[in-house]
Amino acid sequence: MSRINDVGGMEGFPLAGQELNEPPFHADWEAHVFAMNAALIRRGCYNLDEFRDAIERMPPQEYLAASYYERWFHAITALLVDKGVLTAQEVSGD
Amino acid sequence: MTERFRPGDRVLTSRADPVHHTRLPRYARGAAGTVVELEGRYPLPDDRSRGLPAELQPVYAVRFPAAELFGAGDHQVTLALWESYLRPLSEEVARDE
Amino acid sequence: MSDHGGPAHGLAARVRHVEALLERRGLVDATELDRALAAFLARASPANGARVVARAWLDDGFRARLLADANAALPELGLSMGGGIQEQRLKVVANTETTHNVVVCTLCSCYPIALLGPSPTWYKSESYRSRVVRDPRGVLQEFGCTLSPDIEISVWDATAESRYMVLPRRPAGTLGHSEAELAALVTRNGLIGVADV
Repeated sequence: MSRINDVGGMEGFPLAGQELNEPPFHADWEAHVFAMNAALIRRGCYNLDEFRDAIERMPPQEYLAASYYERWFHAITALLVDKGVLTAQEVSGD
Repeated sequence: MTERFRPGDRVLTSRADPVHHTRLPRYARGAAGTVVELEGRYPLPDDRSRGLPAELQPVYAVRFPAAELFGAGDHQVTLALWESYLRPLSEEVARDE
Repeated sequence: MSDHGGPAHGLAARVRHVEALLERRGLVDATELDRALAAFLARASPANGARVVARAWLDDGFRARLLADANAALPELGLSMGGGIQEQRLKVVANTETTHNVVVCTLCSCYPIALLGPSPTWYKSESYRSRVVRDPRGVLQEFGCTLSPDIEISVWDATAESRYMVLPRRPAGTLGHSEAELAALVTRNGLIGVADV
């Protein structure tokens, strides 16, 4: 089924403005999510296609409400739990 | 492995609406386009995302008139598509258009 | 888990928490992450793209090699698409008198980050990804790029492994400019195709 990420040609999304002199990352945590993903893929914990798939399978409302690197973090943690690397409880810190 | 298509070939994209990850966008399903060039050979993401063995498959840059995709527009859109997303645009289909 | 300070604050803590778990598991090394990040940001930036464009404007042979096989041409300037998870194929698409190119990834946000660094936030937005394939002329207009009606727009959707970069046309009145001066004219927006240069 078509997923929420498949937005080519869709109507109605609010315009995204340009940020002048935008930094490569807006916060340390974003940069760490970026680097963590590369490290985990290089290690073979999951592959890039599984990563994209995990982002796409976010519930639509969550996907749209999440910032770009929030989506990445969601996918990384979902995959780590799916693959049995971490447990859901460990991730949530309960 | 030989490629099925060459630059200039007319192709039709799949109409399938798969339940799994794929890299054929919805807006380009069931559309007639022209092969621009072979981009390379890469493992099919539909399989790789599901942990299935994914052999290398040709990927083509395929160009579509906007009107073919959206019913309107004077621009062109080129997508990079795996071979299994494509089939030859048959003479019959072309004649009906 | 409480979220004082807003969602982003909570997220920073959650990211640190997961990173710490992975570090205890021996799967990531925080020092190595920092090193890799710094190395990436040092080598990848829009200035690289600007250098490539300036060289192509001055050297027809380089331009031809760039358009035929960009990955093979980049090392002539000491640049590459490597250093990331895997080296990706770069395809450079040239603007002409009759065609203006613009790049998008409608499905996610694929972009030549190995060469240019991270993409701008607007490039990743649903708004850009949804609209530029359908109304590129309107989107370009909003970016302040008004193209004459006889210029055809060619949109490239990075749906596979290739990453696209636009080679803008050399602006008029730049004869005699040095390579560095020419490079200074090239913007990231020009490399994506939402600006003339």
